[in-house]
Amino acid sequence: MNPINDLLKILSDFVAGIVSGIFAFSPFLADLVTMGLAAVILCTFAALSFMGLTYVERKVVARIQDRLGPNQAGPFGLLQPIADGIKMFTKEDTTPANADRWVYNLAPLVIAIFALTTYAVLPFAPGVVGTNLNVGVFYLIAIGSGSIVAILMAGWGSNNKYALLGAFRTVAQLVGYEVPMLLNVLPVVMMAGSMSLVDIINKQTTLDGNPGIPFIVFFPLSALVFLISGIAETGRSPFDLLEAESEIVAGFHVEYSGMKFALFFLGEYVNALAVAFVFSTFFLGGYAGPILPPYVWLLLKAALIFFIFMWLRGTLPRIRIDQMHNLNWKFFVPVSIVHLVVVMALMKLFVTDPAQAEAFGGILVAPIVQAVILFVASMTVLLVSLAIAARRARVLRLQEEAILEQRRAENLAAARA
Amino acid sequence: MTVQQVLFIVISLVVLGAALFVVTTRNLFRAALMMMLAFFGIAGLFVLLEIGLFAVAQVLIYIGAISILVIFAVMLTRGMQGMVPRNSQAIGAAVTAAIIFAVLLLILGPLRVTIDLARWPVISLFAGNASPREVGGIAWTPADRAIPPVPETYIADFGRALVDLNQYLLPFLLIAFLVDVVLAGAIFIARQRRPAEVIEERRLRAEEDAEEAEAMRRASASPALPEGAVASAVDH
Amino acid sequence: MQNVLNGIPLWWYLVVSSALFCIGLYGTLARKNAIALLMGVELMLNAANINLLAFWRYLAPDTAGGLAFAAFVLVVAAAEAAVGLALVISVYRTTRSIDPETLDQMKL
Repeated sequence: MNPINDLLKILSDFVAGIVSGIFAFSPFLADLVTMGLAAVILCTFAALSFMGLTYVERKVVARIQDRLGPNQAGPFGLLQPIADGIKMFTKEDTTPANADRWVYNLAPLVIAIFALTTYAVLPFAPGVVGTNLNVGVFYLIAIGSGSIVAILMAGWGSNNKYALLGAFRTVAQLVGYEVPMLLNVLPVVMMAGSMSLVDIINKQTTLDGNPGIPFIVFFPLSALVFLISGIAETGRSPFDLLEAESEIVAGFHVEYSGMKFALFFLGEYVNALAVAFVFSTFFLGGYAGPILPPYVWLLLKAALIFFIFMWLRGTLPRIRIDQMHNLNWKFFVPVSIVHLVVVMALMKLFVTDPAQAEAFGGILVAPIVQAVILFVASMTVLLVSLAIAARRARVLRLQEEAILEQRRAENLAAARA
Repeated sequence: MTVQQVLFIVISLVVLGAALFVVTTRNLFRAALMMMLAFFGIAGLFVLLEIGLFAVAQVLIYIGAISILVIFAVMLTRGMQGMVPRNSQAIGAAVTAAIIFAVLLLILGPLRVTIDLARWPVISLFAGNASPREVGGIAWTPADRAIPPVPETYIADFGRALVDLNQYLLPFLLIAFLVDVVLAGAIFIARQRRPAEVIEERRLRAEEDAEEAEAMRRASASPALPEGAVASAVDH
Repeated sequence: MQNVLNGIPLWWYLVVSSALFCIGLYGTLARKNAIALLMGVELMLNAANINLLAFWRYLAPDTAGGLAFAAFVLVVAAAEAAVGLALVISVYRTTRSIDPETLDQMKL
């Protein structure tokens, strides 16, 4: 066992060994305590990464916008998250009059819980995973819809019309973007032949005669759409319509202050980080990678994805609500369905498993050839759909311009008369 | 008492308590949230049954979709908040529910009514059912029948059964068709009608009413109907 | 002895599901709001699902019958919620009321 590569594994085995030694009289109790410890460690990791990420994000976005970012608290402003935390703690905790108190106070808790439970199935290194569910992908999607509930609770409980508007927008956006997300996880699940995250990663390594090609090569369209819907699911810029300050003040969390607001903030960042982890697991091979230890690979990949999130936040303006819905229902969903059908047919036609070829027919090809075929097909669907969308957008733009021109002429005529 | 038993009792109490809250509360939003809690508890029961797939499906469909739909409907009909939660047949409903529960308990549960003519009917709690009963040809309370574990591949088997012509392909296709129809139907029913459409509909309705009134007037031999009746018919 | 899974006999599930069913039934019959009525129906469908899955797990875990029927119940529940709530909202829009007792006109 390579001590550096399997550091996490050795540590977890060590802790589990100690716990089972202490609770030797009851294996169930030992399991319970081990799981509790693991949960505490994971939640601490998530909360700490939240603190780090706020700092990094502010710095990066500041750089993109040619500012300095936090630089007063500590060297390079490194103590800024702690200062923010102290500020949050000391703020007055307000509750609006006529608020539905129970609902209002529970909402931040619910969002934090649902955000943190995502981490239960994420594999961090070989053998280091909270629980290797055989329905892991399904679990992730289901838990992801939990945050909608919390946002609805916040929007309704605040007894504020802007909060309620934010909640309405949330439902429309989050429920809508779940559809392309699911449709684009399906190719991955079909390719891996399993909904377990560990199996999905194994399929992308060289174990068991697999080619060791990450799924982003097989399904570039899926990866792209998944990434964008992931951003929309976490409500980050440019999809932050649920908390658009300039339109609905701050959306669902307008009435929250102090630590309750901090919990919403935590939920948002922890969710975004979870999407980064899930994306690297589904499409970039998770912890698999040469030379470096697995957990370093996973963190590197997740950091890359999170950097893309920050980059988009720093450069793109917020999109309009009709554009957001058009993008989802008129572009992502139909394209994903077409892509799914094409990929499904090709995976049935070009098989890599001799037993499957024997049983169901199909042309037996090498894994690399299959990867190339799927890559070409996926890219073709992507480019063709983009071309169609671009042409359609051009037609619409011309129509709009014509209408504007006509109106301008009418106004001019009216002014002259 | 095993840990699972304790968990089962706690979860069932939560589910039933939440369900009772749902059917009695005045605040519909809280009722919807409590319904969500009940659904979550039921997902917990599925975990105890070792059917992870359905626990997750329960969370995804009932909490992620149906409850949110219900909450949305509650928000859209805000005018109906805070009214009396019961209608005129509440007592009858409660009695019916109680009777049905008692009957179900007798059929499914461990309770047995032993009618002893000399004394009152005695309801006894059985520790072990003496008489095996049959459901679908399978005796389900015989002595010491070990429950086999859930097969490792139960999800794959389930998927194959759904597309197997000899098993559930037809129901599966039917249900897919149902979902299609429902999608179209829900959009059609709840769509926001354009003002022009609404005006047109009102005009048609007014015309119809006027025709009806005309017909009524003609049907009566003489102008027997007073002016007011016609006017009210038109108004209606 | 009875069939027990981790110490839980089958009838525990059956009792819980029948209690849930009856609570849902009461809700469906006695509520004054159409949405609350739909919630009652959802509870009843859930009770049926508990029954289906419990019987599957205890009696026939090697077949797919229980799972298939439970899945169909899930789909039907979702469909029912979608259409039911669409109807409720549509009715509310035209009459400003969703009390089933007052909705006695065939024509609005």
